[in-house]
Amino acid sequence: MTAQPALRPGAPAPGRGTPDQPRRIRTRPPLYRRRTRAAWGFALPFVLLFVTFTAGPVLMSLAMAVTDIRSRDLRNPFAVEFVGLENFVAVAQDPMFRKAAANTAYFVLVGVPLTLAVSLAVAVVLNAGITRLKTFFRVGYYMPVVTSIVAVAVVWRFLLHPDQGLLNEVLGWFGIEGPNWLASTTWAMPAMIAMATWRSIGTLIIIFLAGLQGVPTSLHEAAALDGANAWQRFRFITLPTMRPTLLFGAVITGIGYVQFFEEPFVMTQGGPLNSTLSVAFHTYNQFGFGNYGYAAAMSYVLFLAVVVLTLIQFRLLGERDTVRRRRWWHRRPAAVASKEIGR
Amino acid sequence: MNRNVRVGAAALAITALGLAGCGRGDAGDGEAAPEEAAAVEEGAASGTIEVWAMGTEGENLGAFTDAFAEENPDVDVQVTAIPWDAAHDKIATAIAGGQTPDVTMIGTTWMGEFAATGALDPTPDLIDGDAFFEGAWESTNVGGTHYGVPWYVETRVLYHRADLESPTDWAGLTAMAADAQAAGAEWGVNLQPGQTGAWQTFMPFAWQAGAEMTNEDGTEFTIDSPEMVEALAYYQSFFTDGLAPTDLPQGSLEPSFMAGDIGAFVSGPWHVGILEELDAAGMADVALSPLPAGEEQASFIGGANLAVFEDSDNRDAAWKLVEWLSRPETQVAWYETVNDLPSVASAWEDPAIADDEYLGVFGEQLETAVAPPAIPTWEEVASVIDTELERLAKAGADPQEVATTIQQQAEAIGTGL
Repeated sequence: MTAQPALRPGAPAPGRGTPDQPRRIRTRPPLYRRRTRAAWGFALPFVLLFVTFTAGPVLMSLAMAVTDIRSRDLRNPFAVEFVGLENFVAVAQDPMFRKAAANTAYFVLVGVPLTLAVSLAVAVVLNAGITRLKTFFRVGYYMPVVTSIVAVAVVWRFLLHPDQGLLNEVLGWFGIEGPNWLASTTWAMPAMIAMATWRSIGTLIIIFLAGLQGVPTSLHEAAALDGANAWQRFRFITLPTMRPTLLFGAVITGIGYVQFFEEPFVMTQGGPLNSTLSVAFHTYNQFGFGNYGYAAAMSYVLFLAVVVLTLIQFRLLGERDTVRRRRWWHRRPAAVASKEIGR
Repeated sequence: MNRNVRVGAAALAITALGLAGCGRGDAGDGEAAPEEAAAVEEGAASGTIEVWAMGTEGENLGAFTDAFAEENPDVDVQVTAIPWDAAHDKIATAIAGGQTPDVTMIGTTWMGEFAATGALDPTPDLIDGDAFFEGAWESTNVGGTHYGVPWYVETRVLYHRADLESPTDWAGLTAMAADAQAAGAEWGVNLQPGQTGAWQTFMPFAWQAGAEMTNEDGTEFTIDSPEMVEALAYYQSFFTDGLAPTDLPQGSLEPSFMAGDIGAFVSGPWHVGILEELDAAGMADVALSPLPAGEEQASFIGGANLAVFEDSDNRDAAWKLVEWLSRPETQVAWYETVNDLPSVASAWEDPAIADDEYLGVFGEQLETAVAPPAIPTWEEVASVIDTELERLAKAGADPQEVATTIQQQAEAIGTGL
């Protein structure tokens, strides 16, 4: 600040570069800027939509979550009190929320692995065995995904009907008396999980089929020559190669399942005795009752759960090799350099 | 990274600034003193009146108001039909955005909630409250002020097999259910064992026992009372005695009832149509009776109200339309159009209604039907009752404990007044 440090001879003067540098600087930025402008231009429709319909509401809901806003404040939404984290404390203390959280955890912990396993199994079978009717099966499994949940609910209610339902009829052939699925606190949730699995395997099968195409046949052939059986090849070749696909499948299924709502909404209304009440459904109810602040706080808790679940999945299924390689990459150059110098 | 932090901080700062401008001005608006309604000017209505209505009413009201337009040539009534499912949110959004219509149809149990926002106009003297059934008129009473008018009503009665003796008191209903079972029916009576709307079947028994949900001015809950416990215990007895099913699959009530597998059930006027459609010939075996009396007679009154919004551009004309719709002769014509039961007591003397073979029971029941308290949080309290009734019916919870739980949870929710 007091004295300029003495410049070493030959060093470029600070501030101004060599005579030909400024021209380069002057010619570059316009193109740069033009490109940036073009990029923003292309991104603009999305940015506008995102700010208006996503970022705005998200900020607003965050503001709602820390106030005591209720339906009676509809006309003057600014006439509310700031309550800090009170809503979140209330959420944690709400026995209904805890029940809903436990139900949702049950649904996710059983549902996600089950869905992944079933769709992977179907995808492997479709990929290996069935070639002629592949399209037929793909359409068949994908159908539930594109069918309206309301229609699905009606059909499933028939299937699960205690007296005339197909399921209990079939169980009856084996001498098993099936329960009243949707009216039983024990069986309503498994019924929901079964229905959700059936509804979501379609998408995953398509994704896994694509992933299976990426498994090199040469590896399979080599392993077969070495005497590996089908299970070993699946376990040590197919599964590791499919890891990124599995991760993707687990993440999107997990996100969807944590927000589990439609099934109880159309089938059980959260009953019997709240055994199928999910967090999203509870939040929906609270919004309906006009407890906007409380419901907003609850949806942030749900959002956190999604984030945590996704992080866990990345940890469990993430590309471990890449992480190790990158660390090695970071450490290595120095060593290589010193070795080279030593040589 | 740095930039994100800065953006986040800015957002927080803006939020904080916004919040600094917040805070409830007064301890409460729209409470304390009842709101005064302004008078409606004399003469014919004019201008455009925008009306929202749900379901069948929404579809038919437009053509029906042609008669009103004949009486008031300068008026233009525009009816927008909105589905029931979306109605609550649509009205809430309209209030929040300040884009309300002039008149809207409102479910009776939403009155408290919407009136509390201050968006509804108090009922002017133009409307004579005494003309309506008392229970219906009370459904518009929020904290001492009436908002809107009852448009049509429905109430719950007992549908039972004609060979069963119609019960007059609680013991009679139990005996009837037992008789039905003795005669071969699988279930004596169907009473909704919890889940959405179960309170509508249960509350008549509570009122019959003399229980009250809130005190006079609706500021405190009085649910935990000996009368309520008595009603809960009575309701539970049907399930513990095996007279009523706890897990009837959806959609099997009507066929089972017509087949004689269920002796009786409690429901509203719409079930006459459903049963007739299912088995017109079998209607000879079906009879309708008023609900049995406990300490007193009571049933649940539902239906829909008509309300005018405070922000209406054409308030006077809007109230004139509402007044026209609640005249006895209009109500009879409306009954003939869409089968809505008139909320005006004198309309029931018209032969079109008085001569109907099933309606008489509903008319009789309406005299003693009670509306749930029109408090802003009623829907939420009702859902608590639904949940607790389910516990009572299916898990065998103790009636006293159930009453205490409902009371505690209702207190936690508050009356919102």
